Amino acid sequence: MRDQFLKLWEKLTWSWAPRSERESGEAIVQNLWLHWFPAKVARRSMSWNYSLYFGVAAASLFLILTVTGLLLMLFYVPATSEAYGDMKDLQFAVSFGWLLRNQHRWAAHGMVLVVYLHMARVFFTGAYRGQRFLNWIIGVILLMATLLLSFTGYLLPWDQLALWAVTVGTNIAREGPVVGDTIRYLLLGGTEIGQNALLRFYVLHVFILPVSVWIMFGYHMWRVRKDGGMAAIEPLKFARKAEPKQPSATKSYSLFGLTRGATVQVLSSTELEEKDLAFSSPDLTRRIVVVFLLVFNVTLLLSLLSNAPLEEAANPALTPNPAKAPWYFLWLQELVASTTIGIGSYRISGGLIGGIIVPGLLLGVLAVWPLFDRSPRSCEGVWFAPERRWQNITFAAITVVIILLIAVGLGIRGPYWRLYWPGQPWPQMPRVL
Amino acid sequence: MILSVAFFVLVALAFFREYDSEWAPYEKHFRLILEQHNRIDDARRFSVGIKQIWNPEMGVVDRCVTCHLGYDWGSVLPASLPQPFTPHTALPYLEKHPFLRFGCTPCHGGQGWATEKVAAHTGGEHWDDPMISTEVAGRYQMTMGQMVQMRCNFCHRHDLSTQGMDQINLAKQLFKKKKCLICHTVEGKGGMVGPELTFHGDKSPELLDFSHVTGDKTMFNWDYQHLMDPGKVSPGTTMPTFGFKPEEARALTMMLLSWKHLTFPPQYIPSPIEVAPLQVVHLPAEAPNVPGAEDGRKLFQTRGCNQCHTIGAGKLIGPDLAGVGSRHPADWLRGWLADPSAMIRANPDLAKWPDEFGGIVMPNQNLTPAEINAILAYLQKV
Repeated sequence: MRDQFLKLWEKLTWSWAPRSERESGEAIVQNLWLHWFPAKVARRSMSWNYSLYFGVAAASLFLILTVTGLLLMLFYVPATSEAYGDMKDLQFAVSFGWLLRNQHRWAAHGMVLVVYLHMARVFFTGAYRGQRFLNWIIGVILLMATLLLSFTGYLLPWDQLALWAVTVGTNIAREGPVVGDTIRYLLLGGTEIGQNALLRFYVLHVFILPVSVWIMFGYHMWRVRKDGGMAAIEPLKFARKAEPKQPSATKSYSLFGLTRGATVQVLSSTELEEKDLAFSSPDLTRRIVVVFLLVFNVTLLLSLLSNAPLEEAANPALTPNPAKAPWYFLWLQELVASTTIGIGSYRISGGLIGGIIVPGLLLGVLAVWPLFDRSPRSCEGVWFAPERRWQNITFAAITVVIILLIAVGLGIRGPYWRLYWPGQPWPQMPRVL
Repeated sequence: MILSVAFFVLVALAFFREYDSEWAPYEKHFRLILEQHNRIDDARRFSVGIKQIWNPEMGVVDRCVTCHLGYDWGSVLPASLPQPFTPHTALPYLEKHPFLRFGCTPCHGGQGWATEKVAAHTGGEHWDDPMISTEVAGRYQMTMGQMVQMRCNFCHRHDLSTQGMDQINLAKQLFKKKKCLICHTVEGKGGMVGPELTFHGDKSPELLDFSHVTGDKTMFNWDYQHLMDPGKVSPGTTMPTFGFKPEEARALTMMLLSWKHLTFPPQYIPSPIEVAPLQVVHLPAEAPNVPGAEDGRKLFQTRGCNQCHTIGAGKLIGPDLAGVGSRHPADWLRGWLADPSAMIRANPDLAKWPDEFGGIVMPNQNLTPAEINAILAYLQKV
């Protein structure tokens, strides 16, 4: 027993006091953390202007969400009788409860936005070409997971806002062909939004989805290494000139003294030029910490300035007027509302067109876009490459349309889905007393 | 660098917001008040922190007492203390509604969860159960004491009349007098001309038509104006105008709004009628032996007559039946044993009888004629 313990202890702590030169070397070489990033990274990859560090921002936001989420889990019970009261407790009684909740909410909204911006950056720099296609697909999956995480979390406060936003979302899901009703049934654990739905959304939100995202995030990062680095290095590869290089003065390039001279790999490198590289530690790690700090400060500032909303307790008997989906689905709701038309006695299902077909098509096109990108490979890793102009314009146009639809849904739609200009007051809602 | 500084500033702001709470100064002031009134030990033991009355059975989480610290100090602190330290007004029915079981919000309304003044009293934009304050009651020309009765009736709905609830008692009398049940159904009884009113208080104000209602769009206004002039608020309605006085219409509105679907444990349900307390000492006695009437005596016990009637030992739930044979003729007793309610309906001078016995009419025991004969023979001899 003692032997086994000692063996285990040895296995865990051998690197703390290496006993030989060999072990000292192994202590460095085998360390995961020291090799999380490559020893050297292309300067262009690390440049602020290239990636705008959106990916890092998204990861930072996810870290903030995980930590605040874990703490919130201590105070929240996913029961329809308890959930609303727990939200009130967080707001009024729990020390820093308001901060936990606000930061969680702001980080969540921020993450949906930043993940989209990251995807836009990857698109505009054409960084999905060739071997990076798989990583692009993983990214699209991560985008879906982010939206699902936000959607499942939206239900948990169990207030009117939550209940009816999810009603809108799941009713759209019902319009899916063949499997629509089944998918809705699976999501809700029944035919209506009640305790079963709350529990399923909770389990999805706190376990299944976050674990999947963390795993896929790891894979997403690993793919970057496997693909040779970020696409920013591709133009550097193109620009490489065949130059004779001086062999290093301090090396012998000799195999036990039997051979002489240097090989072609020494004389002309397949690696990037030294001048294009920088040490990831400290440069990259420092920038990442800076981005995290910036992101944290922004969420903290927003949390101080603006509270997460909490409306009346969920009341299935009363639909708020208007009932709106969360902002990142509002563009879909606008589409659904405008494609729900009656021609004579035939009713076109807006849910099917606006809610399933259009986003499904967009998602599908997004996923396979890299396969149809026929621009020259020199466009990779370049912002707004001229040969990709029409692709970029299409993406930007679709983004602008989505933003406009969201803006209309947020600011202009009022009761009965009528249009109310900003500043135009909504009709007074009746109260009891 | 700037980011680090900003980080520290923001974290400091977060701490500041957390610890600069509204309630802490009030609590510190209360400790001072305790000292001023010579309660040094209590002041020393007083700790500053969020306080609440928590009763999960009733769903009560009332943090009002974080600021309203004097509520239970009526015996020591003067009533002249300013709010929020004022002790609770001494009311006759407070003893039956102890603070720790009922909390504050069941009677006063408001948002018990909150620890900030506005959120606790009015609740803000997304809370439709404001505290019944003088201001809220004043909107409807009532005093706070009158309007609070609406909330009393949440639980005391089935009382015929309750002490201290004069407005609601008036409303219940009016409800009976004006025969609202002819057109409206309440708890399964009534007509179907008008809408069901059993849980009228749970209906949502957003589903009402306010186009003919003047003033604020509140359910109270709707109900009140509807009661005063149904044709104006609901054009084309068949509901007659009853000519209520304003205070009558207000009382009725309060009663209607108090009819909510509330569930609470049985120990909180008030007993609707004050029943004459059973004399615990008095167990149902053996019916006295009377020669020649054995069957009747056995039936008197096996059919449960002795649960409510004694013979020679005083009133129980029903009257003492000693000598009843000489008080009422045989035919009368026969008719009574056959169907007591029919007897009361047939004889107007019996109409007030049930009142003597807590409003309870003797239930029909469904006796066979043979049983009636046997019991009659027994009763005529006791």
